Amino acid sequence: MMSSGKSRVKMRPPRNRDSGDVNFDDSWGVLSTAMQEMYRKNASRLSYEELYRTAYTLVLKKHAERLYNSFKTFVAQHLREIVGSELAPLASNTTNSLLTSTIGGGGLTSTIAVPLAAADKREGGIRFLKAAKAQWDDHCLCMRMISDILMYMDRVYCKELQLPLIYDAGLALFRDHVVRNNEFQVGEHIYAIILDQIQLERDGDIVDTSTIKATVLMLESLTEDKIDGETVYSRSFEPKYLRSSVDFYTAEAEKLARECDSSQYLIKTEKRLQEEYFRAMSYLSVTSEPKITKIVEENLITKNIVSVIKSDTYGLTFMISNDRFDDLKRVYRLCKRVDPEKTDLRSAMMARIIQQGGEINQDALECLKHPDKSKGVTAQNAATAAAFKWVEEVLGLKEKYDRILNETMDGDNQVQTSLTNAFSSFINKMNRCSEFLSLFIDDNLKKGLKGKTEDEAEAVLDRAITLFRYITDKDMFETYYKTHLAKRLLGGRSISDDVERMMITKLKMEVGFSFTTKLEGMFKDMKVSNDMMQDYKAHVQNTDPERTIEMSVSVLTSTNWPVSLSTIESHTCVYPPEIERIKRSFEKFYVDRHSGRVLTWNPNMGNADIRVTFRKRKHELNVSTYAMVILMLFNDLADGESLRYEEIKAATSIPDNELIRNLQSLAVVPKTRILIKQPMSKDISPTDRFSFNLGFESQYIRIKIPTVAYINKTETDSERKGTMDKVDELRRYQTDAAIVRIMKARKTLEHNILVAEVTGQLSSHFHPDAALIKKRIDAMLEREYIERSAENRQVYHYLA
Amino acid sequence: MSGDSSGDSSDKEYVRLVSSDGFEFSILRSAASVSGTLRGMLSQSSNFVEAKQNRVVLPNISGVLLEKVCEYLYYNLKHQNNPGNIPEFDVPPEMALELLVASDFLDGMRRVCIRNRLVG
Repeated sequence: MMSSGKSRVKMRPPRNRDSGDVNFDDSWGVLSTAMQEMYRKNASRLSYEELYRTAYTLVLKKHAERLYNSFKTFVAQHLREIVGSELAPLASNTTNSLLTSTIGGGGLTSTIAVPLAAADKREGGIRFLKAAKAQWDDHCLCMRMISDILMYMDRVYCKELQLPLIYDAGLALFRDHVVRNNEFQVGEHIYAIILDQIQLERDGDIVDTSTIKATVLMLESLTEDKIDGETVYSRSFEPKYLRSSVDFYTAEAEKLARECDSSQYLIKTEKRLQEEYFRAMSYLSVTSEPKITKIVEENLITKNIVSVIKSDTYGLTFMISNDRFDDLKRVYRLCKRVDPEKTDLRSAMMARIIQQGGEINQDALECLKHPDKSKGVTAQNAATAAAFKWVEEVLGLKEKYDRILNETMDGDNQVQTSLTNAFSSFINKMNRCSEFLSLFIDDNLKKGLKGKTEDEAEAVLDRAITLFRYITDKDMFETYYKTHLAKRLLGGRSISDDVERMMITKLKMEVGFSFTTKLEGMFKDMKVSNDMMQDYKAHVQNTDPERTIEMSVSVLTSTNWPVSLSTIESHTCVYPPEIERIKRSFEKFYVDRHSGRVLTWNPNMGNADIRVTFRKRKHELNVSTYAMVILMLFNDLADGESLRYEEIKAATSIPDNELIRNLQSLAVVPKTRILIKQPMSKDISPTDRFSFNLGFESQYIRIKIPTVAYINKTETDSERKGTMDKVDELRRYQTDAAIVRIMKARKTLEHNILVAEVTGQLSSHFHPDAALIKKRIDAMLEREYIERSAENRQVYHYLA
Repeated sequence: MSGDSSGDSSDKEYVRLVSSDGFEFSILRSAASVSGTLRGMLSQSSNFVEAKQNRVVLPNISGVLLEKVCEYLYYNLKHQNNPGNIPEFDVPPEMALELLVASDFLDGMRRVCIRNRLVG
């Protein structure tokens, strides 16, 4: 874009009006006079252009350095004069000061230190701040004007030599000669006044915040020379402020701890936090806010919160028990500020839950030992009653804490985890928890859910599932549930098939289908049996139309049903010939259909309706299968004859415990004495004699004779032990299977990793302890499923 | 006049520049503000005489020179927004040096074109 050309034009040199040397002092005189006028607020008579040009010329003539220094000297001197004349006189009325006073009428003068009244202090201080601020405003204005006139020097000289610009130099001069004035301690006064005001406000007075704010802004505008980012505010004032705040809040913490109860303490703490926040944001500096907040938090919260929580009278326990939601919200908020993990709060809650849980467990166990006869609880249904109590109480506790979590702690996840852990801990400490839960569900499915709508029933089951989630030994639960379910299905005690299935579905959703296959198998067996019975009836019509005895058989796949039902030894029984005949008929029928299957009759769970002719009239009795077999023996007896216990036992081959129970039901229980026992005592001994009670009377035609429950307590305990043993056996198999499965997939694994993997795989069923796993690994080694690695004894290899 | 410092009204407002030989040039305030010095002098927040009268006396700039200066101020104002494609500013070579000094004095005429012209 250059135009070509060598045009030979004569250049006119710039005309220099001010030729020759310029007198510095004259020029400076002009400028300094002007600056005086500016300070005296008479600037309107000055010509900018003239002053600008004066400075411009000085700079051109290389007098910039002198000009700069003269400027600085001038301003410094002016400022010092100002301090002496305007500010110093006001300084005496600002803080505690010496007052001369006259005492007594005798004209005695003495000088004493008198603390000024708050009002005087406040006014004096504010006046001083206002005066300082006025000077500052004037100074800034003048600096702007001077900076304008000396703009040329700024541009050319200051920038070149990297000196502070005029305006900035002016500010620095104010800082050094006013605020940091050694003679009159203006700065110290300012800081002290502000701190006084803050203290007044902390004590509850109202102060002039706008003046303080203006002063703070001034302090913040005065930057420090050598230190980046620091101002007079941050270097001189803020440290004092923070120190005095620490002192204040240390004392405040002690005071509040002494005087207030927990609830008050929390409220006051929050108030202080808010107060300091607003103070920092509104009239101190925003940068101070996090620092002061930290001080308050450290002193009021961190130091004391633990004692607040743990306090006996009004602590966390009290708040939880009495639903003090506001207080709980406060505790949560405050804890969250200082500790994002809220460790103290969580551990306190966990401790409390475990304590309460322990109490619930104790209560339930007490209930078992000493059944409350007044409430109709017998030894028999003590277990059920205890189970209900336990389940209801645990669920109630859970609901309470859920409410607290949601309403006061925002559903905080960490707290949620702690609660879950605490609940899990005490629930699983109760080693009858699986049994209790199963009893709870059992009772509901037999009686409790009767007449409820589907939604209501579902609600109850959901509550049960909630508890189920906490139980670690889920396979224990499975065992109990199977047993109870078997009794329900075989006895026809369940109120609704749909509800049963709903329960199974829910369990499936929780732990997967491996858990529920057996349970569903049980249902299937019942259905298949039902269908088969239809066919069998038709078959009987065709083959044996004369038959008078109706029989209904449930065929159970042994692997699905509880183990106790399928052991053969304890269920021997010799049936009367008529019964034997139809038994055989059914067996044939079944085997024809399903060859290769073996049927084993189980008299344990069946029942029979017998029509019995007494002297007065006929009754229809519903009795257990065993009882039926026993009664049939008396058919062949002549009147008046009796059988001894031994004889009955020999004839029927019924095992002792069952025989005793059934004889008790038939001969001892007052309302249903079908047999007469000699001697008439509660216990059955081998020498007792039994005869048919022809004179039996009852108002009902149909009578159900239930079998007496196991009275012998130790037997029940041994039954429980039996269950545990079987569960343990099952666990061994599962552990073995898991070990082999894992090793097959991974081929080589280190011991610790293997243990971890096995634990993980089994976690949905039960929690294996390390000793068990180690034993099983040893067993696997022995059986040569796996081997130890030659180089490292801790590593295993899979053997195909 | 009173109360309108900067803002829309300053677009329409005129100020006066007076040369050493008494020529008065009336230009838009916004044009004058291209020069930092002039802007400061005329700023309504300053208390000086110039601001009050909206009139600046420049005893070291001649009329001819001042005319060129005003021309430049308008030129700059007009092309402020698209620095890419602007027509040249014509500077008679005999005036170039003086113009340079004046621009230095007035702190604002930093566009390269004058120096270009000088070098060329």
